[in-house]
Formats: sequence, C-alpha cells, structure tokens
Amino acid sequence: MNKVITQPPLPTESVSAPGPSRPRMRRRSSRKDRISPGGYVGRTVAWLLVAFNLFLLVWMAVTSLRDTRDIVRDPLGVPAVPFVENFTNAWNTGGFGTAAINSVIATLVSSLLVVAISAPAAYVLAKSTRKLSSTFTLLFVLGLGVPGQVLLVPVYIMMAKFQDISHLQMLNSIQGLVLVLVGLGIPFTVFLLAGFFRSLPVEIEEAAAIDGSSGIRTFIQIVLPLARSGLVTAFMLAVITGWNETLFSLVLLTTSENRTLPIALLAFLDQAQFNGADWGGLFAGIVMVVTPVLALFIWLGRRIVEGMTVGISK
Amino acid sequence: MATPALPLARGRNSGRPRAGMSAIERSRRRLFWPMLMPALILMALFYLVPIIYAGWLSLNEWDGINQMTFIGADNYVRLAKDPVFIGSIINTLKILFIVGIITFVFAFGLTMILRDMMGKKFVRSVLFFPTLINAMVFGIFAGFLFSPAGPVNKLLLLVGVQDPPKWLAQDNLFNMIMIVMIWSATGYFTTIIMSAVDQIPAYYYEAAGLDGAGPWAKFRHVTLPLAWDVISVCAVLWTMSSVKVFELILVFGGSTAKAPPTSTWSTALYVYQAAFGSGGDREFGISAASAIVSLILVTVLTIGLRRMLRREAIEI
Repeated sequence: MNKVITQPPLPTESVSAPGPSRPRMRRRSSRKDRISPGGYVGRTVAWLLVAFNLFLLVWMAVTSLRDTRDIVRDPLGVPAVPFVENFTNAWNTGGFGTAAINSVIATLVSSLLVVAISAPAAYVLAKSTRKLSSTFTLLFVLGLGVPGQVLLVPVYIMMAKFQDISHLQMLNSIQGLVLVLVGLGIPFTVFLLAGFFRSLPVEIEEAAAIDGSSGIRTFIQIVLPLARSGLVTAFMLAVITGWNETLFSLVLLTTSENRTLPIALLAFLDQAQFNGADWGGLFAGIVMVVTPVLALFIWLGRRIVEGMTVGISK
Repeated sequence: MATPALPLARGRNSGRPRAGMSAIERSRRRLFWPMLMPALILMALFYLVPIIYAGWLSLNEWDGINQMTFIGADNYVRLAKDPVFIGSIINTLKILFIVGIITFVFAFGLTMILRDMMGKKFVRSVLFFPTLINAMVFGIFAGFLFSPAGPVNKLLLLVGVQDPPKWLAQDNLFNMIMIVMIWSATGYFTTIIMSAVDQIPAYYYEAAGLDGAGPWAKFRHVTLPLAWDVISVCAVLWTMSSVKVFELILVFGGSTAKAPPTSTWSTALYVYQAAFGSGGDREFGISAASAIVSLILVTVLTIGLRRMLRREAIEI
C-alpha cells in the first residue's frame, strides 16, 4: 500500500519548474503590465470566489464544532469551546460510525479491484494492433456516456436475482455494493489507463522481450511499475467516485447497518423532519463526508486534476 | 480467431520488421483474451445486459412482486402524458443548456482572468475542489444558508433589505439549484479549458497584440479557435453529466420529506422515484421507460453537439 504511493509528485521539480519560466512571465506581463480596468474587476471576482469557497470549508468545520442551539441563534458564529459532542453523537447514535467504516471498506476494496481488473484490459487495448481492440475500446468509451439511472433498475433486479440463486447476500450488503461499484467503474478506469499505457515507450517492452521475458512477466514486472503513477491516479479517482456514490447505494442499502456515509447523511436529514434538525450532528456528518476527499486533494491534487482533465481532453 | 504466428505484425505498428516486435506481438496476442476478459465480462454484466433488460422492462408492467405483463409501448404513452416527466425532461434540458452555457462563459472568463494572474494554480485548485465533493453537501448548505431566518437573510437585513426573496419557495427552487450547479461546475471546466489555453504559444498573443488586437479580439481570434477541440469535448462531457444530476436535487433545500417537489425533478430523479420512491408503488416498467428515454436523450444530444461543434482541427 505504502509502497505504491511513496512516489510523491516530485515536489522539488514542481517547485523549481516556475524558476526558469518566471523571468519570461515577468517580462511578458511587464510589457503589457497595465492591467486593464476589466482585468482588475476580473481578478477581484476570482479572488472573491476563492474567498467564498474557502469560507464555506472553514464555516463547515467551525459549525461542526458548535452546539445546535448556538448554530441556530447565530449561524456564522465561532464556538468559545469546541463542542466535540457533535462528532461523538453523530458517530454513535447518528449512525455515522458504522457508515464511515462501511464507506471506507466499500471504497477501498472496490477501487483496488477496479484498478486490478481494468489495468490488464487497458494494457492490451492500448498496445494491441488487432482490429478488435479498437472495437472494444469504443465499447468502453460508449460505456462512459451511459447515465447511471439507465442501469439502476436492471442492476437492482439482477442483484436481487443473483442473491436468490447464489444465496450470497447482494442487497443490503457491502459486498453487493462493492460488486456494483467495480462493474460501473470499469469503463472510466479502462479509458483512463489505456491513455496512460499508450504513452509508455514501446522500447522497454521490446528490450524485455528480447531478453526472453514472457508477456505476463513483462506486464507485471516492467509495465506495471512504470505505470505506477497512472495506477495511483486511477485508484484515487475510483476512491473519490466510490466515496461519493449515492444513487445505487440508496437503492441497494436500505438497512441502517449497511449504510455508507452519503446514505447515512440522507437518513439523518429524514430524521430531522421528525425530531427537529440537529444541525451540529449534521455538520459533523458533512465533515466526515468532505474531509477524506479534501485530504486526498491536498495530498495528490495535481494527479487528481490531471486524471480528471488531461486524460479526458485527449 | 487466434492466429498466433503471424510473421509480421499488421496494423498501426507495422512496417518495423524487428525480431523483438514480432515476439512481443505474438505474446500480446496470446494474452489478449485472458487480460481483457474480466473487464469485458463486467462490462457486459453491468452495461450491456442492463441496457437490454431496461429496454425489455420498459415494455412491461411490473411491481417487482406480481407477474410481469407485457403492455407494449403503453409506458411510453403514459410518460408522454405525464406532466411531471415532461417537466423532468425540461429541467434536464435547462441544466444542459442554461447551466451549461453560463458555466462555459464563466469558465472562459476565469481562464482569461487567470491566464497571467499571480497564484493562478492556487485559485484553480480552490475552484476545482467542489467538483470532488458529493453535491448533496451543497444542497444541505444551500438549505441552511438560504432558509428564511438563515445567514443570508440576516446579512441582507444588515444591509437594509427588509423583504428578501423567498429563496427556497417552490418557484425559485430550481433556479437556486441551477445557481449551485454553475458554481460547482465552473472550476472543473475552467481547469480543462485552462490546460488547453496554456498550450497556446504566447507568441500568437504577442503577434495579435502587435496587430492591435484587444483582449476580446485575442479571445475571439486566438483562444477560441485554438481551444475549440477541447471545448467540444467539454460540451460532450457536460451533456453526459447534466443528464446524471441526482444528489443535489434530491436534498436541495434540506426539506426532503423523502422526495423533493416534483417541479425540480430531473430525469434521474424521475427514474429513481418511479421505481423506489416513497409513493409506495414500485413501477419498474415506467422507471425503465423513463431511463430509456434519458439514454436516447443523451445519445441524440451528444451526437448532435459533436456534429454541431465539429470542424477542421487546427495544428498549433
């Protein structure tokens, strides 16, 4: 696990990169340095947006540490003493504890599986010269465009039928959700990784083949380590997708023991209809949903952004 | 099918008669099916079969318990007469076109603003971040911030606005949803467009500047044509994601008595509500029919947009 991720995005390089280009930028901007009035307005708008987004995050964190009555009285206030009970209550009685554990398990297992299954497929699709491979590539790309709701009812029924036949718990179980997350995640992960494998140089594999390495060995011992950063990106994006998945979880998980965090959040909202809103607990739940993604983004933001944008715009 | 010992690899990498090539080629051919199969099987099970099954379900009436009865196109006829369904299609189109166009204008505006601004990477990251968060969170935030006695109205009162708009009234709800969508999607598309614009060499702008082009002319005659391919990809991406919008609408306003007001439903909401909604009856047939309609919608729109936006690629 650790071994996979110990290749951080080379901080020295990204720090030093602006160095040489800085003077050029300066020169360029100093020549037309007179920022137009529109430019000032634009910059102000951009920074206001940034301020607003950051404010939302801080406000969320602060509010999750306040008593509900305080929140209602003054929604923008700051607590004198952090009210940690929100978290203990949400974790224990609000159902967020079980949900958090379920979310972590479902997300990690499904993300590992989807990358493990997609990587070999993406590799042969990227490198094979068969005519068939472009047909299959197209198939995976088309899968990207299918809205989840089209699959919702059929997948639900199929899972129910599969449960009847196999006597494996598929509805209301994390393993069922994992299976669905893996299945639904295949097109995107294959698409992303195929783009990545295509960018790897052929020469290294040729060298391996000349040295007598078999195809499988070349793939596992040479290609996969080379593709590590692509695999990590694919894994991260699968984690984010899995962590946020709501539509299928909502349908597949209906008992409180099996909820994931988004579903627990929805259940908490529903309860608020009857018991009055426990804003403190709700914000604690929101913090649990947001924080892991925020942490990932701060840690590996560049890869996540590239995975979601660069690969797609090719 | 399996002809392992082709002397020369045909296809894209052909024309390089090196010993290594053909060895690789041969072992690749042997590995083709075993390595592809697991993904293909999942693809079939979770995409192909369900789509075909949804097509079949849409021609039937079924509550999941009793006998399924074949009723032909009746579900589609019922959908065509259902104002809620028509409304959900209109809402989806509003998301696609209104939210889409405004988001694109903002994204381009921000790209132009950020082009040579200090701290642009930081700004971009902060604006990108909402894309990664479950949209449900923003629905809850909006419900809290814009509630009648909520922070926004309190702030407005300080400024002297005695009679603030009823943000979360039925009539305004969908507009509020669209505003939140614009806010959360802008960062994502700004990032994609920026990565395309960053690849445009600076001397194009300098040349345009020497020719006396102002910011608008530079945008119109340099940025827009050179970033066009990415724009058309973005348009397709937005089409696909606008049809999927679900979580935000489900919780918007924080007033989920199980289901949000029907006036805000998108097609995804309709599919969900028809099959699993709180109304009680499970109408898998109707749900499948509405799902098929949304699949057709996304297909037609994607193809149409691609046709509309296609043009000769410009080499940089």
